[in-house]
Amino acid sequence: MIGSVPILRIGRTLLLSIQLELSDAVAETLQNDVLLAIEKHGTSSLVIDITGFDFVDTYVARILAETSKMARLMGTETVIVGMRPEVAATLVRMGYTMEGVRFALDLDEGLGLLGHVIAR
Amino acid sequence: MVEVISRVEVPIACEDDVVVVRRRVRVLAGQRQLDSFAVAAVTTATSELVRNVFVHAGGGKAILEEVTDGTRYGLRATFIDEGPGIDDLERVLRGGYSTAHTMGLGLSGSRRLVDRFEIETEPGKGTCVKIEKWAPF
Amino acid sequence: MDHQKYLKLLRFDEAELASRRAFFKVGDEDLKRLADLRAFAEQHSDAVIDAFYEMLLGHAETKRFFPDEAAVRRVKRLQRDYFLGLFSGRCDLEYVQDRLRVGAAHERIGLSPKWYLGAYRQYLALLRTKLLADFDAERAELCAQSLERLVFFDMSIAIDTYIAANVETIGRHQHAIRELSTPVIRVHDRILLMPLVGTVDSLRASQIMETLLVRVVDEKARYVIIDIAGVPVVDTKVADSLVKTTSAVRLLGAETILTGISPPIARTIVQLGVEIVNMHTRARLQEGIELALELAGKVIVDRKPTG
Ligand SMILES: Nc1ncnc2c1ncn2[C@@H]1O[C@H](COP(=O)(O)OP(=O)(O)O)[C@@H](O)[C@H]1O
Ligand SMILES: [Mg+2]
Repeated sequence: MIGSVPILRIGRTLLLSIQLELSDAVAETLQNDVLLAIEKHGTSSLVIDITGFDFVDTYVARILAETSKMARLMGTETVIVGMRPEVAATLVRMGYTMEGVRFALDLDEGLGLLGHVIAR
Repeated sequence: MVEVISRVEVPIACEDDVVVVRRRVRVLAGQRQLDSFAVAAVTTATSELVRNVFVHAGGGKAILEEVTDGTRYGLRATFIDEGPGIDDLERVLRGGYSTAHTMGLGLSGSRRLVDRFEIETEPGKGTCVKIEKWAPF
Repeated sequence: MDHQKYLKLLRFDEAELASRRAFFKVGDEDLKRLADLRAFAEQHSDAVIDAFYEMLLGHAETKRFFPDEAAVRRVKRLQRDYFLGLFSGRCDLEYVQDRLRVGAAHERIGLSPKWYLGAYRQYLALLRTKLLADFDAERAELCAQSLERLVFFDMSIAIDTYIAANVETIGRHQHAIRELSTPVIRVHDRILLMPLVGTVDSLRASQIMETLLVRVVDEKARYVIIDIAGVPVVDTKVADSLVKTTSAVRLLGAETILTGISPPIARTIVQLGVEIVNMHTRARLQEGIELALELAGKVIVDRKPTG
């Protein structure tokens, strides 16, 4: 299952594009894999694309937020991109605003925020 | 008066059942004319409550019902377990309190996502949470 | 008018038909008895219908639904079809579909159930008199009972449809109100403005959030200005919902600028202890727009005087 969440590396950036529904166990494994990849490749930034999520509960949201904070401790800045309106509304209504995590509208913006400009 | 159109019972026995149950809820909610925000809300609440049954009570079951009051459709989900129950319900419902070192926003958060939220719990006996989400006019 | 839609909305299928017929005791023998009265019905239809409209036109509140002679002639024709339908010997889904029209049509013109309940009663009374005049007491009584069953069955359908149609009308109105109450304007590239006017209750607050979030994603907005100058009262709930909206906008990767903060609103927000650390705020809309442009890396400059 984990095979379907590829971790791409573009220069010093890791890109995680999650397209499938995460079970709790897969989410935990994914966090671990990302941190290992950061250690292995010495990356400086991480982009997590969650466009594919049509809902995110507090469990997955916590893992995303924690991954971002752990990555920061390892010197890697994270930005989460592509959150859908429904997901944002739901999380905020539940009282989880994911403070301390950075967000961008889409991949382009996310990379821009991290100081990368994709050549056009 | 609320009438039940369909009813299924799904066991919650392993972690994958969290995925199974919330998927079923998402499909049912989509069929019942709930808008995308309502679908996300009820799916998320379900995810939280099923996980609670599995994590905090070691298993139980979910009952999913499509309901109507004659003019609108709704979805009702009931989560039942015979686990340890909740000692300090008031504190749990205020949010931010967890015995599992997680967010502690599952119950309090779900409550804010649905149109109806009822919880019955008895220490040592178990917990039953019932939620409803209705399609807007 | 889409009768199929109402059949579906009321979930009127064979099972519902059977259950309702059983409850109103509309049996096959009733239908047969009424079908046998076909000649009687045709003979009296004009008289019954004329008397029926005399009553409706004789009452000021019902009279206004029939503005002119032509309207009366038209509804009398429809009424005749309805009337003869009672003696068709049928009570199947097609019959129901026909009856659904009554409630839906009345809802459309605003004729509420009380009037047609009274009208149905009048119908029964008129027919009973005719039955007693034409037949022996026993048959007249049996026929009157059958008629009563079917007419009450019809009434139940008319009322159900009236309610369903009414709920639908309310839904349409709410949709229109929603669009009016949550306007979003694109003021510049990737800058949106939501000027709020009027009271914000919890339903509207949630619509504001949803509408805004959808537009942010659709328009790839970076900055969102919410102007609350037109909101008369900002209480804890409103302040809280604005904060939530701002938080949700942030999760999408955009920023919110709250403008129109008058002294009383500023006072309320501070006294309520609402956390506004992550929010840009300005007193006036103009300053909010300037800030959005500045954040977007743009400036407004005076054009050099020419000549
Ligand atoms: N079904 C349940 N059975 C027993 N205890 C429960 C149940 N659901 C919730 N609880 C208790 O309530 C607390 C809060 O639950 P919740 O709001 O979902 O947050 P979390 O699951 O992150 O702890 C849990 O830590 C647990 O102590
Ligand atoms: Mg929980």
